[in-house]
Amino acid sequence: MEIAYFLGCIMNNRYPGIEKATRILFEKLSIPLKDMEGASCCPAPGVFGSFDKKTWLSIAARNLAIAEEMDSDLMTECNGCFGSLFEANKELQHDSVLKDEINEVLSEVSKEYKGSINVRHFAEVLYNSVGLDKLGELVEKPLNLEVAVHYGCHFLKPSDEIGIDNPERPQILDELVEVTGARSVPYKDKMLCCGAGGGLRARDKDVTLSITKEKLDNMMDANVDAIVEICPFCHMQFDVGQIEVNQKYGTNYQIPVFHLAQLYGLAMGLNKEDLTLDAHEINSDPALAKLVAELDANAAE
Amino acid sequence: MSLIKRLKSLFGGESKDVIKNKSAKEAPVKIDIESKDEYSSADEITEEKTDFSVTKNSTTPKYKESTKIESKQNNFKKEDTIKTDTGITHAKEKKLSNEPSKKETFEKEDADKTVSKIESAKDEKLSIDEPVKNEEPVKVEKSESIEIINDESTSKEEKDSEDDVSEDDVKLTVKENEVTEEKDKKGDKMSLLEENLVIRPESVDKEFTQLFVDAGIDTVEHCFQCGTCSGGCPSGRRTPYKVRQVVRKCLMGLKDEVISDPALWMCTTCYTCQERCPRSVKIVEIIKLARNEAAKAGFMAPAHRATGSFVIKTGHGVPINDATKTLRKKVGLSELPPTTHSDAKALEDIRTICKATGFDKLIGYNMETNELME
Repeated sequence: MEIAYFLGCIMNNRYPGIEKATRILFEKLSIPLKDMEGASCCPAPGVFGSFDKKTWLSIAARNLAIAEEMDSDLMTECNGCFGSLFEANKELQHDSVLKDEINEVLSEVSKEYKGSINVRHFAEVLYNSVGLDKLGELVEKPLNLEVAVHYGCHFLKPSDEIGIDNPERPQILDELVEVTGARSVPYKDKMLCCGAGGGLRARDKDVTLSITKEKLDNMMDANVDAIVEICPFCHMQFDVGQIEVNQKYGTNYQIPVFHLAQLYGLAMGLNKEDLTLDAHEINSDPALAKLVAELDANAAE
Repeated sequence: MSLIKRLKSLFGGESKDVIKNKSAKEAPVKIDIESKDEYSSADEITEEKTDFSVTKNSTTPKYKESTKIESKQNNFKKEDTIKTDTGITHAKEKKLSNEPSKKETFEKEDADKTVSKIESAKDEKLSIDEPVKNEEPVKVEKSESIEIINDESTSKEEKDSEDDVSEDDVKLTVKENEVTEEKDKKGDKMSLLEENLVIRPESVDKEFTQLFVDAGIDTVEHCFQCGTCSGGCPSGRRTPYKVRQVVRKCLMGLKDEVISDPALWMCTTCYTCQERCPRSVKIVEIIKLARNEAAKAGFMAPAHRATGSFVIKTGHGVPINDATKTLRKKVGLSELPPTTHSDAKALEDIRTICKATGFDKLIGYNMETNELME
């Protein structure tokens, strides 16, 4: 299996530790990640999809065409990119009139969308194509962490089209987290959006932060050591947004935020610099200290 | 078939008296006319008559029920919207040049308005009232009462009026208003129904509804207004965004109302509504298409235009910065990701696509200067 590795924007342009951890992980799994040269923004489903559908579809189709030229399924580790590219792929595969219309646009840049590849999410690839057993073998340092798992929205929904897991009571990400030794802690309104999507973060930060705060309140009540998500945009919202919530509401939330790839990085023994955790707004040290204490205790035994 | 007409009559009432109009079935029409400098009462009535005649031709009975529901919702919505304007900061919206009157009315201080009432049917209204007598008994449906607590803790109870429209005739009944308590000092309003809430045929745009059908979102017609969507909506809990109402308005063809409402942009596209919809309405698709129309009409927030401009400039909605470049190098990644950031030809592709689809014009981007235009 080879994979056309779609980067997107926020991961590679803000949190490169996620990309780094992913590249190391897939190397260990012996799955080549091939760069999609010249790929662009997906573009964001709730933003560009809201502005102009044709532009959204055309740019998405161009990205898909790049993966088609590589003859590989496309993988992204961003829910937004996944939502955009999956939806665009599906829509174009099933609507030949629309496909012709978009290909007319793409012809101006010498590209053609064919509909020959699948769009997959990092977490789904790990779960279905790699498997929990193999992932478990990679864990060098079991993670003694209580974790709030955040699925985000576009990974599972719309479920009638994506079909990865039950959108109201999913298990897939909890299982992927727990294979590292961490425990997924139940918390109120677990499936609630982080608040950033649909262009809301750019347009009305007060509303966005209000949703984020509700989410953080519920996570705090569950007494978690960290948040684990599978979307760099949610990641940014819980990292940068957590600081913004503190400023706006006078709270002092400091819940470390890990993308699943970073969590695996920790389990594989990568340090916080490799994972660029030191560049996060929210200090990851309390969670990391807990891990170190656990390791020391184990070593002493 | 999408053209829905709802007639709203305005409820009358005296400021000090409790009025019980027990002859509602005889269909006397009570009309509140907000007297404005520029309108005489006669003008108002003439306008309404025009509306009725249009209605006759365009309304199908199919949507009668839902229309009524919508009219109630409308009342709620207005209240919420008013709250929003004080509570939530919205990005400034460009007004539609062809729709200034709605905004103006919206912004007016209701409290300063004087309201005059015309009780009982006017001669001018005979054309409306007569058919009522000839038709089967008018259905009288008691609706949920709407209670409003204003700043003086005065509550009003109101029974909604219901419009019954058939293919041939327009029947109009206005039921009684009951005022259970003394009204507020602010005005003599007996009703939640503001002049600017009355839906007139000219507000209905059939083509708007057709857009959704043509785009494959014909499930917009399946909505039976159960409200499951609004019940699960994270934005609906904290903003005036009422997703059920947006779906309804899209089906009714109330284009201007839908696209000019800043609340349309409060959706995070989390899909909770769509997942739970018992009628499998593609709600998020509806919202996105409605936003496309809003964007075309110029209702695009500066922040969103900026996001769009980043993609034209760099190929990324969130472009790289110096700090991340350093960080990438530090962990052994290429300083620039292998995307449009390190591929001039690829970036040119994106710009060409944006030109081909007119995205540059949509967001007001000048390809020559590489900047957003004012």
